[in-house]
Amino acid sequence: MTTPLEIIDSNDPVAVPWRVALVRPDSRPEVRESEERYVMTFPHLIVREIILFQLVVIGLSLAAILFDAPLESIANPLETPNPAKAPWYFLGLQELLHYFPPVVAGVLLPALVVIALVVIPYARINLESAPLWATPSRWKTPALAATLLALLALFGIFGCWPIVIPTAILGVAVFAARFETRFLSRITLPEWIMTWFVVIAVVLTVIGTFFRGPGWSWVWPWE
Amino acid sequence: MSLQRLFAVSSVVFLAVLAFTPAKNALRPYRSIQREFRRVGAARAPSAKAAQQYAARPIAIQQIWLPDLDNRVDRCTTCHLGAADAAMAGAPEPFRMHPPTFHTPRDFARFGCTSCHAGEGLATDRADAHGTSPDSTSPILPASFMEAGCGRCHAGDSVADAPSLSRGRTLMETSNCHACHAVRGHEDFRADAPPLDTIALKTGGEWLRRWLANPKAVDANATMPNFQLGRDDLAALSHYLFSREAAPELQRAVAAAAAEPAGDKVRGKTLFAASRCISCHTVDGKGNGSAPELGKIASRATRGWLIAFIRDPHAFNPRTRMPQYSFADADVRDVVAYFEDELRDFDAPANILEPLRVNQTLAEKGATLFRSAGCFACHTEVKEGERFGPDLYGIGDRKATSLDFGRRADLQRTLPAWLAAKITAPRSFADGLKMPTFAFDDEQKRDIVTALLAIPAAPVPAAYRSAPPVQASIVPAGPIGELVSRYRCLSCHQIGGRGGDISTAPLTIEGSKVNRDWLVKYLGVPYSIRPILPERMPILKIPKDDAARLADAIEMLYVDPNVPTDPFAARPASDRDAAEGERLYTTFGCRACHIIGKSGGYYGPPLSDTHTRLKTGWVFRFLQNPQRWRADVRCPNYGMTDTDALRITAYLDTLVERKEAAQ
Amino acid sequence: MTAFEWARNTSVYRSIIRHGVLPTNRNRSLIIFENLFLHVHPVKVRERSLRFTHTYWLGGITLASTLILVATGVLLMFYYHPSVPQAYRDMKELQYVVDDGVFLRNLHRWAAHLMVIAAFLHLLRVFYHRAYRPPRQFNWVVGVVLLIVTLLLSYTGYLLPWDQLAFWGVSVGTNMAREAPLIGERMRFFLLGGNVVSENALLRFYVLHCVVLPVALLLLVSVHIWRVRKDGGVQGPPEEGARRRAQGADRDVAETPSAPRPLRPAP
Repeated sequence: MTTPLEIIDSNDPVAVPWRVALVRPDSRPEVRESEERYVMTFPHLIVREIILFQLVVIGLSLAAILFDAPLESIANPLETPNPAKAPWYFLGLQELLHYFPPVVAGVLLPALVVIALVVIPYARINLESAPLWATPSRWKTPALAATLLALLALFGIFGCWPIVIPTAILGVAVFAARFETRFLSRITLPEWIMTWFVVIAVVLTVIGTFFRGPGWSWVWPWE
Repeated sequence: MSLQRLFAVSSVVFLAVLAFTPAKNALRPYRSIQREFRRVGAARAPSAKAAQQYAARPIAIQQIWLPDLDNRVDRCTTCHLGAADAAMAGAPEPFRMHPPTFHTPRDFARFGCTSCHAGEGLATDRADAHGTSPDSTSPILPASFMEAGCGRCHAGDSVADAPSLSRGRTLMETSNCHACHAVRGHEDFRADAPPLDTIALKTGGEWLRRWLANPKAVDANATMPNFQLGRDDLAALSHYLFSREAAPELQRAVAAAAAEPAGDKVRGKTLFAASRCISCHTVDGKGNGSAPELGKIASRATRGWLIAFIRDPHAFNPRTRMPQYSFADADVRDVVAYFEDELRDFDAPANILEPLRVNQTLAEKGATLFRSAGCFACHTEVKEGERFGPDLYGIGDRKATSLDFGRRADLQRTLPAWLAAKITAPRSFADGLKMPTFAFDDEQKRDIVTALLAIPAAPVPAAYRSAPPVQASIVPAGPIGELVSRYRCLSCHQIGGRGGDISTAPLTIEGSKVNRDWLVKYLGVPYSIRPILPERMPILKIPKDDAARLADAIEMLYVDPNVPTDPFAARPASDRDAAEGERLYTTFGCRACHIIGKSGGYYGPPLSDTHTRLKTGWVFRFLQNPQRWRADVRCPNYGMTDTDALRITAYLDTLVERKEAAQ
Repeated sequence: MTAFEWARNTSVYRSIIRHGVLPTNRNRSLIIFENLFLHVHPVKVRERSLRFTHTYWLGGITLASTLILVATGVLLMFYYHPSVPQAYRDMKELQYVVDDGVFLRNLHRWAAHLMVIAAFLHLLRVFYHRAYRPPRQFNWVVGVVLLIVTLLLSYTGYLLPWDQLAFWGVSVGTNMAREAPLIGERMRFFLLGGNVVSENALLRFYVLHCVVLPVALLLLVSVHIWRVRKDGGVQGPPEEGARRRAQGADRDVAETPSAPRPLRPAP
């Protein structure tokens, strides 16, 4: 007497490597075609990498031929240039310093940003990918509105217009996205947040680079 | 485009770009300039071989490295390739040969270029090398201030071959810049402004008001600048100055002198001319100008004060440069009578010398103003560190970006422009500035800016410093020193490089030069040694024993040990051949400039009284090398042999005819 | 046979290059997995991952600029003394005297800017493609750390020319660092080797910029690329992943199907 056939109902290809497909009489078998097509790394990927490297070298060499790196007069601890600007990637922070005390702008906010970035893959909200307005919910609008108003108020109190104005614009866009059908409505909440962060960072950096003059006063770039 | 095509294109462009990147270096301007030099040099070359050398010059950076001079590296010659090349005289710039000066082109390897011209020596492109970009550390010295470069190493006030610099430095001293502004080397500077305690005895309120309002308008020789005082300030200062009490003996002297009878103005006029006061003073603009204008002196100072002052100037101002004339009492009265008759301001109001009645409140205000406006800086002794104005250490190296141009947006943003504007209109930069206005003309401003630009932030290394050799400039203490001080020899003469420049005869080796007896007579009655010159020493009426003591001291102290007492000692007797000397005198053509007897040229001093006046040892040394003691002596150096020189000396020593003193 | 073919058959050549010349898949595989640098790649890759819009090649751009920076950086090190005021003079010497000195320095500077921008865009690309999802979470963290290292490299390099721009830019930055509570003052002292930006700061930044941070970068980049490989290759736009999940795949990616799956014996 043989052991009865154990029938395991599973999708796990490792635990159950042999499969038997049960075809019901009333169903039509569908062959799941793998859409994956594989090609040899050499030459296809390698040649693309080489081209990329060449293009980067070409681009940078042309830039190096045409544009000179700046070099001002020798460092003089007794002579502070006005304004004294940080490198461009920290200019956003320096602009923020104009509105917030140094602990906040120089330490707290950058630390928060880094922590937020690091935490992204571990936060559940980032792993789900439903667009913001896909599932209707009673609390979504008020929660969003409350958050936006809180942000606007917080940054408004400190007079930080470079954050307030883009936040307001994006806030309007978030709510307008609900009624749009093609692109905006498919943006997820984490993507909205990241977009907000990128826009703020770019605006702050641009202001710090072009719109700030002696004494960190507002100047127009063409002056 | 297929991937293959893209790869081919990108590879080709990649290699092309990499091959092209050295172009940025190859296209650097100095390279094309050096190629241009090859062509210019070959075209101007005197021979085919030289042309070949020019054409084969390598294209490379040229530099002069001076490890001892702050580790300087001067790459100016990368473009200025012909600077040391005689064939390049008159070539187009930047290849032209450097104009020949004392240090060029022979001293390039010793000094480089930037130690004189400033500029950025390390640079190899034009804008950076010439320092024309705004944040360059060292802009090149503009041509009009070229001599500032000399002053970096040559620290003395007077630098040969640098007339603008020398004038500027002298002007800074005579204008008393150092009284307010500290400059290294002049830490002990004291202005020669007079003490102000005898103002009440000397002049009147109206005259003082006019003076304070604009000194130069009252007296063209004034060194006091214009403080641009308002009416109230003028009044306050006047009251303050009139409130000051002179010493009792001075008050007595002035009062007594005022009470004396009037003098003889005709005799006074003659005496005035004989005393040659215009050796220092001017009358209606004629004269030397280093002392006040006397054309209106009777409206400037009271009779009593004038008489008392001329009798004893040192009692009123111990630091005055005026010597003590040994006039008789009547002499002074006569001279002052002459003043009152002719040398007065005929347009002045009658009350010009009326003393001011002092208002105490105003006087107190004036006392504060005396300090806050800076009057004290010149008129009192100021210690180092307490000077009124900002110090000028390193002013010549100040960067234009660190200067405050204030309201003067019209100025070029360069240091020389700032300095020139400061000197011209000091208070135009901002409100509340206190520097007074000096009446300099354009040349004087240029000279002063040159002198200022010569003040370095850090002195050059000791091996490069060139301070003037100060010989024995000692004036002994004791009775001789008193005599020198009394007659103020150093107001006109120089001893060892120190002293005045009114006389062209330095006394440094006078003892080796002139005979003692002659000197005694001369000091008693000076006469014109060189008739072509209108100036001669004033008749100070030095008493005989003072003159004798002075002559003895000069003969003992102011000597040149290289001048032999007897040049004929240990020489063959034939050297003492006066006849042969006379023949040589004619051969060398000395007659063209010198008079003996009745004929000869007027250029040099007459030699008729050589035996009386000059010592043989000195004459001998002079003939060997006329420029031995002064480089600007016009007597040509014939390079004559010692024998010839001795023979001429012997001949001159036979000449005893003494020219009568001209009165 | 041509000279090239002859050369390729010598034993010397074949001791160095071990794969054959014929365009067989075997040779192509050998090229990849017998090469120290290339064998981080799988021998076969998904065709769709070759598309430009898959990753926009941003990681590659970052890596390319890193290589350019290392090469130009080493060349610049030949001309640079990290002392005051010699550092500034060396910058001037690069500009005035060194052949191609200006080009070298420009290349280094623009490559640095490109690296920062590309790293940041790479982060955004990964985020918007949701390529940080499991199993790639840790690689994302490594990436964030790499971004910080990149910024620090840029910042330490910024001081090295010792001009007004550098000096005051770093002064401003380290003053910001001082504001950190508790450790701010100490951190600033450690960074600067003193209380002000001075020769010590220059030397520290030089060591950080040329040794410490490049080593950290090298290690982290190695981990980063290795993890990419281990996590199944670069992940592109999420539509494919969604489509695949909709079709029933349990994980976003699978091992390359060409590698044989391990067979388990029957229980």
